[in-house]
Amino acid sequence: MRANFIFSEVWIGLRRNLTMTIAVIVTVAIGMALLGIGLMVNSQVSKMRGFWSDKVEVSAFLCKKNDPLPSCKGSKGVTEQARADLQTRIQGMAQVESVEFENSATAYENFRKTYGENDVLVKAIQVEDMPESFRVKVKNPEEYGTVIDELQSVPGISMVVDERELLDGFFDLMEKIRGFALMIAGFLVLAVILLIGNTVRLSAYNRRRETGIMRLVGASNLYIQLPFVMEGVIAGLLGGVVSAVLLIVTKVFLFDSMNINLAAGTQLTWNDLAQVILGTMVIGVIICILASFVTLRRYLRV
Amino acid sequence: MIHFDNVTKVYANQNRPALDHVSVEVDKGEFVFLVGPSGSGKSTFLRLILKEERPNSGAIHVAGKDLARLSNFKVPHLRRRIGCVFQDFRLLPNKNVYENVAFALEVIGKPRRFIRKVVPEVVELVGLEGKAHRMPDELSGGEQQRVAMARAFVNRPMILLADEPTGNIDPATSIGIMKVLDRINRTGTTVVMATHDAAIVDSMRKRVVELEDGKIVRDQSRGVYGQAY
Repeated sequence: MRANFIFSEVWIGLRRNLTMTIAVIVTVAIGMALLGIGLMVNSQVSKMRGFWSDKVEVSAFLCKKNDPLPSCKGSKGVTEQARADLQTRIQGMAQVESVEFENSATAYENFRKTYGENDVLVKAIQVEDMPESFRVKVKNPEEYGTVIDELQSVPGISMVVDERELLDGFFDLMEKIRGFALMIAGFLVLAVILLIGNTVRLSAYNRRRETGIMRLVGASNLYIQLPFVMEGVIAGLLGGVVSAVLLIVTKVFLFDSMNINLAAGTQLTWNDLAQVILGTMVIGVIICILASFVTLRRYLRV
Repeated sequence: MIHFDNVTKVYANQNRPALDHVSVEVDKGEFVFLVGPSGSGKSTFLRLILKEERPNSGAIHVAGKDLARLSNFKVPHLRRRIGCVFQDFRLLPNKNVYENVAFALEVIGKPRRFIRKVVPEVVELVGLEGKAHRMPDELSGGEQQRVAMARAFVNRPMILLADEPTGNIDPATSIGIMKVLDRINRTGTTVVMATHDAAIVDSMRKRVVELEDGKIVRDQSRGVYGQAY
């Protein structure tokens, strides 16, 4: 095997087909970047799910004095004694793992932490305005529904909020982004296959003299086909490099900034990114090799 | 060296066979002219030897190999033992004489040192010494055909197939081409040459196989082009 001979043939082929090569590189780059984004969203979502799954709780808010909500009609507020009774009652439920009480002061503190930048809002709300609540943890995530139903019927509880619902909206959005990215990536993969087919066909036509002579003097199929396949592989690899850059940019400017607001500790690490980039490159190169081989079978008689 | 046993070849979409029950034997080191009008089956005969086409019936042995049992994977190795020359030279226009000849060795993976040694020898053998760095378009037709012969012979094939090698060349230059073919034949290489050129066949006095409508109508040692009636 004469490697430098193959490479000089590859170089000539790529230069002769420069515009097509660029088209392949760009398409591979965008296609693989979208595929990579899909994979990144995937691992981001699963990391966040893991992070939130043991933190998600059901909040059961207690009625305040003159609470306008219908479930608290005529309530004069929940007394210390009633509160303690409620806590034991909730604790007694078979599905409940733990109950914590959050008083107005703690609630206000949390509120101020979240909305600290919004001075008007923080000033308008007083400690007494914040409702007291129980934070209920459920043993089994599937039993949230039963617990919520049961809590809602307990007198003295104004409102039950399932925190999972708040997160579900976010996860839905992420999954839509993922689906969209993967769908477009799929179309681009199709475009890559057709483009490479076209490039190889042009290349085979441009080099029909050479391949004809190669056949005649007894060059092996590998020798005849390898330059064409290598053209596809190199275009695929260059596309992969460009898509790696796009993915790094996406991580730094999109995923990292999003995470600061949502949850610390669910950051997509460089290690995750490296895996995604490796995966997309391998997929890109494999697609290029397969597309080259399939077209060669049709346009290069060996 | 080449053995055809009752070979028939019918191309798809054609009723008349290109070769019709042809049996012929060519020994090692022989020089054979293949003559006959256009469409008589000369080119088909050559293509069958290269396994570019498969016969519909009959058996072909080349260099001791039964072509029907030769797997596609091994066809390149068969072709390495057969050199080919054509009417239209088939040189690479962007490579010079040396590179055109070296190409045949490069693509079968010969080491560079070997190529550097044998290519100048063959270029000299065909009478192109001093012209190794000319481009094909700087050469006459006869010189281009010599390059093609050098390329066909550089790997020392056992058989050389020539399909109308003098078809595009004037008679005076053709004599030089025939001398090179004769020189190659004297190294022990079997030469099969398809031609229309009566003057050349008559002057060489070699074996002549005449085809007509796919059938062998004459097989004569030390023959001439046309049958003397």
